[in-house]
Amino acid sequence: MTTNDNKLVTTRRNVLFGVGAAGSALTTGLTTARAAEKQGGQVTDAPVSDKTQERQSFYGLHQAGIVTPRPAAGMIASFHVLAKTPADVERLFRTLSSRIAFLMQGGTPPELDDKLPPADSGLLGPVIPPDNLTITVSLGSSFFDDRYWLAPHKPARLSRMKAFRNDALDADLCHGDLALQISSNTPDTNIHALRDVLKNLPDLMVLRWKQEGSVPVLPPKPDGTHESARNFLGFRDGSANPDANNAALMDKIVWVPENGAEPAWTRGGSYQAVRIIRNFVERWDRTPLGEQERIIGRKKATGAPHGGGSTEHDVPDYSKDPEGTITPLDAHIRLANFRTQASEANLILRRPFNYSNGVSKSGQLEQGLLFICYQADLEKGFITVQRQLDGEPLEEYIKPIGGGFFFTPPGPQDESDFVGRTLLEAAGHDVVRKS
Amino acid sequence: MKLKLVLSASLLALAAAALPRMANAEVAPLDLVQPIADYKIYVSEHAEKLVADTKVFTDAVKAGDVDKAKSLFGSTRMSYEAIEPIAELFSDLDGSIDSRADDHEKAEKDPEFTGFHRIEYGLFSENSTKDLGPFADKLMADVTELNKRITDLTLPPEKVVGGAAVLMEEVAATKISGEEDRYSHTDLWDFKANFDGSRKIFDLVRPLVEKEDSAFVTKVSGNFDKVDTTLAKYKTADGYELYDKLTEDDRAVLAAAVNTLAEDLSTLRGKLGLN
Ligand code: HEM
Repeated sequence: MTTNDNKLVTTRRNVLFGVGAAGSALTTGLTTARAAEKQGGQVTDAPVSDKTQERQSFYGLHQAGIVTPRPAAGMIASFHVLAKTPADVERLFRTLSSRIAFLMQGGTPPELDDKLPPADSGLLGPVIPPDNLTITVSLGSSFFDDRYWLAPHKPARLSRMKAFRNDALDADLCHGDLALQISSNTPDTNIHALRDVLKNLPDLMVLRWKQEGSVPVLPPKPDGTHESARNFLGFRDGSANPDANNAALMDKIVWVPENGAEPAWTRGGSYQAVRIIRNFVERWDRTPLGEQERIIGRKKATGAPHGGGSTEHDVPDYSKDPEGTITPLDAHIRLANFRTQASEANLILRRPFNYSNGVSKSGQLEQGLLFICYQADLEKGFITVQRQLDGEPLEEYIKPIGGGFFFTPPGPQDESDFVGRTLLEAAGHDVVRKS
Repeated sequence: MKLKLVLSASLLALAAAALPRMANAEVAPLDLVQPIADYKIYVSEHAEKLVADTKVFTDAVKAGDVDKAKSLFGSTRMSYEAIEPIAELFSDLDGSIDSRADDHEKAEKDPEFTGFHRIEYGLFSENSTKDLGPFADKLMADVTELNKRITDLTLPPEKVVGGAAVLMEEVAATKISGEEDRYSHTDLWDFKANFDGSRKIFDLVRPLVEKEDSAFVTKVSGNFDKVDTTLAKYKTADGYELYDKLTEDDRAVLAAAVNTLAEDLSTLRGKLGLN
């Protein structure tokens, strides 16, 4: 699909539903599911949303789902990949890309003889809405290591995630040959997409683990401004994220550059770090507010930094606070970003989701942060920042239990292209561009 | 072969009644009569072997011979696992013969937990035949009853053909994880029997599908072969290695083959025009 189509759909929706400036709904990523206010609705009537026709483009230098505003529902699914030969890997990449293209575009699955299992799970109905879906494909270190013909082409910084100081990693929630980040307006759309992929690629991919998450939905603000959503510690999460609309900044922070240590095929790609970080929320809720705010380094209600700011977008000035009397030296935000010229090399783009998984053996809530971040250099980005955070006071309230490091290849140029093509070509595999 | 003739005759009547609508014009209802009669023989033979093997197994349990009973556990179950889609038609017996601890509220301590896995628990977890006598008697009685009911059973064609996929669903849902034989870790024996049982059904109807869709047949046989090759790596003199010997890579190969076979075989009924 093209950007033009996208505009068309958006505009028509705006006309139909009276949403504000064209495209604004698309970029906020908010889901305002409005309950039917009609008199006489039935208890099991479906909740209504005017966002189901929101659509992201699968095509471009970069994959979708990275600088795309984070919608209300997200998921990481990690797979063991069985494709070993170039031909099988090509079939994997092509099939995956064509499923993603279809699911992100939306449409009607083929109708089969009713003596056969249906082509689609049907959980979104006979016509699949795009619902702001993005599926982002990323490759783990083992994807390259376990295929001798790909090993020489492994991205320079890609490694298998090693345990950090505070980690208690569960092997069943770590790593993977291939990861899909699936995000959309609703968990159902994500689950539908996952089931579609599983059904279409049973011989080449086996699911290893998955984690779903959500982002709390806010009502639109009358002045049209946006605010960051909150995580399960009740703090705004994302306030200090670099501006994803600033392409030059994203080129510096997120996208692998053309010249450098990286193989040429990676250009336009990014490193993805995934961490499943459990939060001890009962204990957090029993911690004095002042201490919570010192641990994070921000005010809970507004998200403003300490020392006089009033909004989450105010910026702390550590040069005036060398002793940490305003923002403690070991506050999360201070360790995560020193805010010096040198530390600009360590900026990352965070795109996390909150998760909630039931109850632990001790009867406590199993919930936390499905932390996802993107960066042009995994070492300078996530790994350096996490090392800085090692030992932070927040550790008493969090426990990383899973995740992995992945490389997100560049996006497909158009419908004749597929994710992973540049890698296959770099490995000397002849790829025919079908149109 | 007398059995076969009798069966064919009764199935003719059944086929005419039960198979009127065929989506696939090439497969006539009567084409299924022979494969189903052949499958009935396969099932009967396995049920009889199950009775014979269970006798030796339960005798060892009752004689207090832990080692012998342990060594017979994996092989005794195979006849049951191979015909599971049919055995499962009798849900009361399936529950008492093959349920697992987690099917019961009080798990291993639940008085309703009987059958193979209850005895497995005693033999492998507690390394003893203590108190297993009544479970052995019950298992023997249950498999004898199963055999009897199978003899009297008219096989519903859609259950037979659908059974090929059902066996794969079983493996995909609970066996690939090693949960089935959690005390003895003899899961690979079960795998082998499940795959063989599924392949038997596929092979019997294969000629009917082959002319219409040879690519399908090639793909499915290819996946069965992949499973055989992978399992063969774990063959020992008297059976299979324990489940924990299975490498992560091979487990993924098996999981992918099972999922693919489950997907493909789920279309078998429809391809043969069965509802
Ligand atoms: C459960 C775990 C975590 C929680 C609850 C958490 C929470 C927060 C909060 C509330 C903020 C302030 C608002 C904002 O700028 O977003 C923040 C900022 C930040 N966090 Fe985390 N975080 C967690 C894990 C991590 C991890 C694992 C990393 C990276 C290794 C990280 C890196 C950052 C960065 C870079 C900032 C921005 C700092 C700045 O530029 O001022 N966080 N986090």
